[in-house]
Amino acid sequence: MDRAWYWKAGFILAVTLLSAYALVPTVTYFRLPPQVRNESSVFEQARPKWAPARHLNLGLDLQGGIHLVMGVEVDRAVREKAVRRAEEIQAELERKNLKGIEVRGDPDTGIVTVSGPDIGKAKDLVSDEYTDMYVRKVSGDSFELAMKDDAVKQLKESAVDQAVKAIRNRVDKWGVSEPTIAKRGDASILVQLPGYSDPEKAKELIGKTAQLQFKIVDDTDTSLTQLKDLPPGVTLDWDRYTGAGDATVSSPFLRSKDRAALEQYIKDKAPKDRELAIGKIEDRIKGEVVYRTYLLDKRQGMTGEYITDARVAFDQAPGEGNRPYVQITFNKTGADLFGKLTKENVKRRMAIVLDDTVDSAPIIQSEIPGGVCSIHLGGLKAINEVLQEAKDLALVLKSGALPAPVRILEERSVGASLGPELIRRGSLSAIIGLLAVLVFMGIYYRFSGLVADVALVLNGLVVLAIMAAIDSTLTLPGIAGFVLTLGMAVDANVLINERIREELKTGKAIGAAVKTGYEKVFWTIFDGHVTALVAGFVIRAYGSGPVRGFATTLIIGLLASMFTSIVVTRTVVEWFVGHGRLHKTVTF
Amino acid sequence: MEMKYFDLIKPGTNHDFIKYRRVAVVGSLIANMLVLFGAIVWPRLNYGVDFAGGTELQIHFKKPAEPGDLRDVVSKLGFGEPTVQRYGNEKENQFLVRVERIALLTHEKADAVKTAVAQALVGLKSFRFDPEVGDKLDFTFKEPVDESALKAVVEKAGTPVKEVRSLSAREGQDREYTVITQGPSDKIGSALREKYGQDQVEVVRTDYVGPQVGKQLRIDGILAVLYAMGMILVYVGFRFDFRFSPGVIIALVHDAIITLGFFVISRHEFNLTSVTVILTVVGYSVNDTIVVYDRIRENAKRHKGKPLRDLINLSINEMLGRTILTSGATALSLVGLLIFGVGTIWDFAAAMLVGIISGTYSTWYIASPMTIWIEEHAAQRKAIEAAKPKAKKQDTPAASAAR
Repeated sequence: MDRAWYWKAGFILAVTLLSAYALVPTVTYFRLPPQVRNESSVFEQARPKWAPARHLNLGLDLQGGIHLVMGVEVDRAVREKAVRRAEEIQAELERKNLKGIEVRGDPDTGIVTVSGPDIGKAKDLVSDEYTDMYVRKVSGDSFELAMKDDAVKQLKESAVDQAVKAIRNRVDKWGVSEPTIAKRGDASILVQLPGYSDPEKAKELIGKTAQLQFKIVDDTDTSLTQLKDLPPGVTLDWDRYTGAGDATVSSPFLRSKDRAALEQYIKDKAPKDRELAIGKIEDRIKGEVVYRTYLLDKRQGMTGEYITDARVAFDQAPGEGNRPYVQITFNKTGADLFGKLTKENVKRRMAIVLDDTVDSAPIIQSEIPGGVCSIHLGGLKAINEVLQEAKDLALVLKSGALPAPVRILEERSVGASLGPELIRRGSLSAIIGLLAVLVFMGIYYRFSGLVADVALVLNGLVVLAIMAAIDSTLTLPGIAGFVLTLGMAVDANVLINERIREELKTGKAIGAAVKTGYEKVFWTIFDGHVTALVAGFVIRAYGSGPVRGFATTLIIGLLASMFTSIVVTRTVVEWFVGHGRLHKTVTF
Repeated sequence: MEMKYFDLIKPGTNHDFIKYRRVAVVGSLIANMLVLFGAIVWPRLNYGVDFAGGTELQIHFKKPAEPGDLRDVVSKLGFGEPTVQRYGNEKENQFLVRVERIALLTHEKADAVKTAVAQALVGLKSFRFDPEVGDKLDFTFKEPVDESALKAVVEKAGTPVKEVRSLSAREGQDREYTVITQGPSDKIGSALREKYGQDQVEVVRTDYVGPQVGKQLRIDGILAVLYAMGMILVYVGFRFDFRFSPGVIIALVHDAIITLGFFVISRHEFNLTSVTVILTVVGYSVNDTIVVYDRIRENAKRHKGKPLRDLINLSINEMLGRTILTSGATALSLVGLLIFGVGTIWDFAAAMLVGIISGTYSTWYIASPMTIWIEEHAAQRKAIEAAKPKAKKQDTPAASAAR
């Protein structure tokens, strides 16, 4: 045995061990009862601490759940923007002392009509001020405005983003593990909730308009420190910041990794006129999510229904570069309410609450009159981190304001009774199929058939391990891809063995026959696999949903098959051939 | 050294595959045409909700039920002619009921609802109904109204309501409500419960696909297959010879169509999983053809001067054992699925089996003859081309001088 052989053998051993290691959490996952294994906290507890976190997921068709495609009515978002815009233009013209001009936005077409005397001036003013619109038509004493195409596109995109954000927020709150919430090309959103079984409730929760509230945080109350019976995993921590008169405010809060436990515990723990709300702290470096409490004053606050816009803007502080912040615009009523709320609570924290979850709690630096409010974020963080945070917050605020209505385009629910039945039959059939092939290969080729069998089993192991490691989902079409891979892996070994038989018939010695056999057949197998791979990649790029799942498994399977059916079998066969005493056992 | 092994095919077998190529090509062409006719014109594919759009329910009965009775109950509800299929074996009492997607509300009905709402509730500002959506009514009011009152009014006007959703709620702005009327699944469920008893019927699964989505999925699927074929064409042309590409593609299209034939003849549902079967068959077929082509290429080097016809025959014969073994092994891996699979899984395995048989056949009788045909065609053209330049030279000496 030469040096290269030991390298190969070592590599194969490493791949095998690594695959087994990667599959540990998957085994844990499947050993949990199906009712609870999709709850992240249950799985986390069961998973061995030394094992990786990712496990193989089962698609909706295999474990049941809900599949929704929500269409975002983006056209309506555009039309509504035009109507709001008409109001803004009207106000602007009045400010500029252009009297007697009427601005009207048509809610059905999204076209803004400006009419009245002296519209020439109005036209100049509007085209200077509102660069995202263009003059569509001019006729006598009126002209029409419409949104420019790129503005419309941007508006539509942000409407979908808002809806995605709002939906993700809600789904996260139920603690469904591995939900899929994805934006699709055609302004629709794919939502998949594995293991979740009540479509009506899901639709209700997803479809409702988000509720946004501003509430004042009570940082003077320290009753949390009196609690002596904190459940395991829940700890007491302190917030510190500079409050009124430059005094440092210290305020206690509870934290835990387990939202449900925290929620359960804080029930009825809030003092009179106060409520305990939960917020999320994301540790991006550790990749951890921690939940914490905020003590909110029930008596003070306002809802987000008065917000007309929220966007990211930039500070232009000299020498410091541009720091992003979030700018919110309220309507008239909202401006008054917000002015009053902020005036009464300077140097205290204001919690921004979306659907019962505190999104953030910035400190009110001064009274905010005029209906425009700025929220500055994290002073010490890197600029791109702040920018991301600002974008997220603007999205949250707008989502609360009004996402474009969403409509259900596609709805599938796979009942819990279908899932287990399908998977039981599916896996039983797959195992029987695999066994049949293994037995056949063993009988037909005997020794080298058994070697091929080892390679096939290893192939399966590697494919599952890679799928688990890249967090992909196993679906019925995925199993189809797996069957194709299996067929091609068998084919590779049949090709090799038949070829070696041919070489032996020409009178070559076994070692030489093995060498030529593998070398000659390599390109055949390579071409077959690469052609199928090409098809796989194309299907993955252009196909949708289940067809993509098929392609993913196929691609992984083909790559694994090239390794197992060529490298692994050859290494094993070479070992037997290379040992004088053993090489009699080698048959093809 | 003495070696003993099973040989499926005796060495030196020489079956003349090329001899039958005309019969095979004509026969396959007819079969393909028939399948395409069946898929597109009559009786057409039995499209599942994935592609046709509509609502599909999987219903489980506690007691035995007859598909005929089921169809009667559902067809009375006015969703057009429903498709009722048994799901799994008879003992399980499971059925798939599929109804086409049709506009649930007509304009007249929607107008009647609007009039009733305008009379009963104050402040109706606008009303919107889109027949394309069909099950949704949008109302805009100047003032907030009671959701249950709105529901009552709409139901009184003769339209059963599933739920009322309030959309936006900004101070000083109009209030919007969306009324979702009852869809086919609610109606079918309640009609069946009425007939068979409340606790006898369980709706296991509901699939609902809107018409645009169905269309999009169909386009995506077709595009994926076409692009894949294009790329394969290029790869084979690059690795072998462009003379070989058409053979691979024609064999692949042939196998895809024959597999489609399974769905046309069995009348089993054609859905997204069926598309993956066809893709699998395509992948398998390409591999099969490539392996034989590879042998042709190798033999062409070994036996220089042998006519292509003989080379192909020799190569197919040399690979006969391997082709049968591989097809057999892959078919064997489907045995479990065929015995224990139900519904989609069984269809998957059965269609795959058809595809594997077709793939093996097409490699022998379609792909290789195509190559010969192209070769002969090219040879003819070459002969003509060879004759041409001479004639040209005499006609236009200036042109050839310019070259």
